[in-house]
Amino acid sequence: MTSILDALVTGLVYGGIYALLALGLTLQYGVARILNLAYGDFLIAAAVFATLLYQRFQLSPLVSLLLLLPASFLIHLLVYHLVFVQLERRRGSWRAMEASSILLAFGLSFVVSGAMLAIFGGKLFSYSYLLVPVQLLGSVVPANRLLALVLALAFGGFAYLLLVRTRIGTAIRAIAVDPDGAPLAGIDVRRWAGLTFAFGGIICAASGVLISMFQTFNVPMGVTFTLKALVVVIMGGVGNAVGALVAGLILGVTESFVARFISPGLTLAAVYGLFVLAVLTMRTGIFGRALR
Amino acid sequence: MQRYTRRAVLGLIGTASISALLAACGGGQATPTPAPQPSPTSAPAQQPSPTPTTAAAPTPTVVATQPKKTLRVGFAISKSGPYAAGAGITIYPNYVLWAKDVNDAGGIKLSDGVYTVELIEYDDQSSPEEAIKAIQRLVNQDKVDLLLPPWGTAMNLAVAPVFHQLGYPQLGVANLSDKTPELVKQWPGYFSFLGTSSQYSEAVADLLSDLANQGKIGKKVALIYVDDAFGLELSEAARKKFKATGFELVYDQGYPLGTTDFQPILTDIKQRQPDAFVACSYPADTLTLPEAAMVVDFNPPVFLTAVGTAFPVYVGKFGQNAEGVMGLGGIDPKAPGLMDYYKRHKEVTGQDPDRWGSPVCYASLQVLQQALERVGKVDRQAVAREVATGSFQTIIGTVKLEGNIYYGNWLLGQWQNGEFLALWPKNKAAATPIVPKPAWKK
Amino acid sequence: MGSITRIAVLPVMLVLAALVPFTGNDFYIALGISILLNAVLATAWGLFAGPTKYISLATAAFFGVGAYTVGLFYERVPMLALYPIAALIGAVLATFVGLTTLRIQGMYFTIFTFGLAELIRQLMTWYQRNVTGSVGVYIITDITARQIYWSLTALLALTLLGGWLLARSRYGLALLMIGEDELAARHSGVRTTAVKVVVLALTSAIMAVTGAIVAPRWTYLDPNIAFNPTLSFMPAVIALLGGMQRFWGPLVGAIPLVILFDQLNARFPTTYTLILGLLFMVIVFVIPDGILGLLPKLQRLRGAAPAPTAAPASLSAPLVPSTPTRTASPGVDGITGTPRASTLNGAVLLEVNGVRKAFGGIVAVDDLSFTIREGEVFGIIGPNGSGKTTVLNLISGVYEPDRGQILFLGRSLAHKAPEEIARAGIARTFQLVRIYPALTCLDHVVPAALFGGHVRSLAEAREYASELLEELGMGQFMHVPAGQLNFIDQKRLELARALALRPKLLLLDEWLAGLNPSEMLIGMELIESLRGRGTTIVLIEHLMQAVRRLCDRCIVMSFGQKIAEGTPEEVLANPEVVRVYLGEADNA
Repeated sequence: MTSILDALVTGLVYGGIYALLALGLTLQYGVARILNLAYGDFLIAAAVFATLLYQRFQLSPLVSLLLLLPASFLIHLLVYHLVFVQLERRRGSWRAMEASSILLAFGLSFVVSGAMLAIFGGKLFSYSYLLVPVQLLGSVVPANRLLALVLALAFGGFAYLLLVRTRIGTAIRAIAVDPDGAPLAGIDVRRWAGLTFAFGGIICAASGVLISMFQTFNVPMGVTFTLKALVVVIMGGVGNAVGALVAGLILGVTESFVARFISPGLTLAAVYGLFVLAVLTMRTGIFGRALR
Repeated sequence: MQRYTRRAVLGLIGTASISALLAACGGGQATPTPAPQPSPTSAPAQQPSPTPTTAAAPTPTVVATQPKKTLRVGFAISKSGPYAAGAGITIYPNYVLWAKDVNDAGGIKLSDGVYTVELIEYDDQSSPEEAIKAIQRLVNQDKVDLLLPPWGTAMNLAVAPVFHQLGYPQLGVANLSDKTPELVKQWPGYFSFLGTSSQYSEAVADLLSDLANQGKIGKKVALIYVDDAFGLELSEAARKKFKATGFELVYDQGYPLGTTDFQPILTDIKQRQPDAFVACSYPADTLTLPEAAMVVDFNPPVFLTAVGTAFPVYVGKFGQNAEGVMGLGGIDPKAPGLMDYYKRHKEVTGQDPDRWGSPVCYASLQVLQQALERVGKVDRQAVAREVATGSFQTIIGTVKLEGNIYYGNWLLGQWQNGEFLALWPKNKAAATPIVPKPAWKK
Repeated sequence: MGSITRIAVLPVMLVLAALVPFTGNDFYIALGISILLNAVLATAWGLFAGPTKYISLATAAFFGVGAYTVGLFYERVPMLALYPIAALIGAVLATFVGLTTLRIQGMYFTIFTFGLAELIRQLMTWYQRNVTGSVGVYIITDITARQIYWSLTALLALTLLGGWLLARSRYGLALLMIGEDELAARHSGVRTTAVKVVVLALTSAIMAVTGAIVAPRWTYLDPNIAFNPTLSFMPAVIALLGGMQRFWGPLVGAIPLVILFDQLNARFPTTYTLILGLLFMVIVFVIPDGILGLLPKLQRLRGAAPAPTAAPASLSAPLVPSTPTRTASPGVDGITGTPRASTLNGAVLLEVNGVRKAFGGIVAVDDLSFTIREGEVFGIIGPNGSGKTTVLNLISGVYEPDRGQILFLGRSLAHKAPEEIARAGIARTFQLVRIYPALTCLDHVVPAALFGGHVRSLAEAREYASELLEELGMGQFMHVPAGQLNFIDQKRLELARALALRPKLLLLDEWLAGLNPSEMLIGMELIESLRGRGTTIVLIEHLMQAVRRLCDRCIVMSFGQKIAEGTPEEVLANPEVVRVYLGEADNA
């Protein structure tokens, strides 16, 4: 019994990072309608900066968080307006640019990771921060993972309140439903979509900094994080902040239970099993219609 | 309609050239560090981009009287993709360092003169197809005299038939596999300098038996392994040997490649109170396992992780907490020339080499060089024969291959006072094991 | 003469390509394999993604499965047998994937396929570990680089041939329609899911065979290599950069791009990825439609006609006016026997019983019942938002009713997809015209005739379609892209497409809306002529003038409910109707 509770608690805490990871991407795709394949690469960039600041200047990652989040916001805002909006202008509408935007996102991903590769190569980055065991409901979890969960809940809650409870949120959701139609309703699509994209960028950078605290990474691993985030995004429903949170936590708990009570070898298989299940139910329309 | 086709072709050519031009310009502007010259470049100019070397290279003492000739040495290595990490730590810097060392010392003396080494490099993008293409390019277009191997078992195997067919010796380092003894029958120019996987597993079991016989530990072992080729080979051989030597496996589970959460596994293992924890792990896991162990306060007398334990980043990350952790590899600082190598490596490449594959890689290059000098000319078949049969003085001691494999490596080491000292084989040990391992400091 | 040259270009190129190994330089073979590998994968990818616009990132999954088939079984099964096995496994896997995911649209599909390769990689790792006890496979054969080169050349030739045939077949056109407007395709009777799954399976089989051919070259396979994500990205990138308007677009992309990538990689080993990324971004901006897009836009509009190979060309090809199957005075509908005068006592054709449909909290149709008899023209009128179009969508299978049932010829339409309903004999037009601007008029009508299931061959369908267009007065537009038609002609084209199904029941959704007065007269006459031939018609209409003139009976809807039923005169005299209708009319 205690071990079940323990597996549940640690699973939830470890799921926090998945939730955080997916939250940024789900907002970016859900609202800005851009499948940001460079997500993982931007994440790695934040992680690399946090590591370098920590190793070279002994700057706490929590402090670099304050530096990197606004920086990431600005960069994403710039990327959105200088790259994707320009493409949209050329194509005439969001729908017309879908295939091109994927190509562009590939390019962006290559540019971000390529620039880092040219500087750092495949070098491994790893350091420990906030590796303090914390007692939580009778289980022990590392503080850095707990922080990830807290941030996920905070960002997720913020996104939810913003999207569902405010007029701006209504406007943003209108964009999500119909980017080409929204201007007719007097919504400045580019402005709001850009801000949401950049907000996703903030979450992306936050995930990066947190991941750098407890995970070994190198530049070519960006795509792994994109993939992981996508899996959670699909499970939670694209553009659905709460869905991403729940799916992330479910993933954490699943991994924890499978590793503990079945076999550690099957953790990823279980995760992808859930993923397939999510896609299959989606087909019958539980989430399907809202996500068109 | 003919015109239409011609126009299309012209359009294509135009696009291709425009994009090539744009690419060239784009590359020029965006490269953050002074971009390496398009290869081929002569080796001394070839710096790994991250950090410009600060140390002045020792000026060559011998001034060759006759005009130098160049020995073109080519290689394709993973500079991007998943294999870039391993290649960037163990292999690539050693190629650069070796070429510089050789040239600083005056070059390679062959019967018809002294040759300086010129390195020609390509990125195989962690793709076997690209690796094969790059090797063909090196041989057919660049007409290189010698080839150096890529990183990783998969890449080495992908290019092995090409090396063989073209008659180039392949002095593989990061191509550890239990299958090597079989493969060399097919490819007589295929070598492996890190040995075989089971050699390492058996060393683990032997070391643990030795400790058990001394009464330092009991006979309960917890074994985990990454579900990938090397992890599985390693664990399989270890399992057999543990059973044969009377150890009890209290835990024996694989975990998927890319696992980041080891807390559930270690929580479970901790309850079984093993005397030794053996993880057939890859670098990312190796660097994460101690964290999970600290969180759940799991501190067995022997804590042994596999690949990556010997990386400088390990001690950089864990500092004091690395103390007492065992892993694959290890060095003996008293070995002649070895510490000098470490110093030079750091000066030239700007990075600290690992304590396992790096010195072996450098040694393999020394073997190649000595074999070439003994043969006296670029006769690749003869060089291969010499490598297979000769014995060579290197930074890791005297190297003599058996069946194209070098079995004499330091197999296991332990972090002691910030150095990864060799523990096994016992006759080459640089230190006695610290067992039980000190408690994790928080 | 010219066309012979064009047709010969591809085969000649392939033959030339097959001669490369005789240059004696193995580097050219290696480069050639690289080009061929990417060309085959990109072409196969483009065959599906080009017309349908489904961007799949799962190429690596199928490639890897094929490669592993060889890796696991090459010692026990002869190589030649392994290729079809690999193709089969790839096709089966793709069928499964297609059935589960192809209903998902747009980017969502892309995201899923991106995860799919990972999923299959995990399954393969798990399988291999548990069955063979290791994760890597050694493939040691005596297959040479030349053999692999030639095998890939042959596979490319087969793929191109397949693409050419596909483009010429009805399925090629069906795919195009799916990509342009899937719903309209379904209402033309195209079994969209089946078509998509079949084509996806075929192209995936090609990818699997590619994997099987290449695997022996790599000596060693592990999941990282076989399912390398680059294998998914590159073909997509190459096909998109090459252009997907034609089946050979990806090939046009593969040759220069692979050479360019190769050169860049060789010259800038350290900054290659960065340069590649910048290059992609520049290309997206500079040549948006890929390399093919550089060809004059006109080529694209002509459609399909110019290329030796493009599909619609053959469909639109001039008819051979031979088969005298046409009746003396061909009924537009062509099904029912004698045209009958409007009557109220024909057999019951459609029965709507207590149907309700709600969207979220809004009830669009509530407890609606009516009956339509054979041969009548039945009007559904009512103010905007009263649920008329929803009724039409319920009948044609776009929506499923929440409650109640719809019977067509006594059989329930529940759980029937739009294409099944279309094939059963209910055709429709759309309130907002849904045509394919790039396709010719004939190409709109031919598939409906084909997929409606009453003609056997393409030739027959072509003939039928052109007769139909002639009768609707559109003979001169036969080979004109629909985008160039004026509004009434587009409406007529939609009508022709609906009639080509030989419907027993024709649903016209505000077909007269937006026409100017003179066009309106032509339109009404057209509908009358259909009626005169006995086609049963449901007319959703706003214009009282048209309702009075055309309808035998009608119902009036308001807020989802039927408020009146009867002849136009009766209904329009109903005070409730007057209140609802004129009230709104005053506002308007």
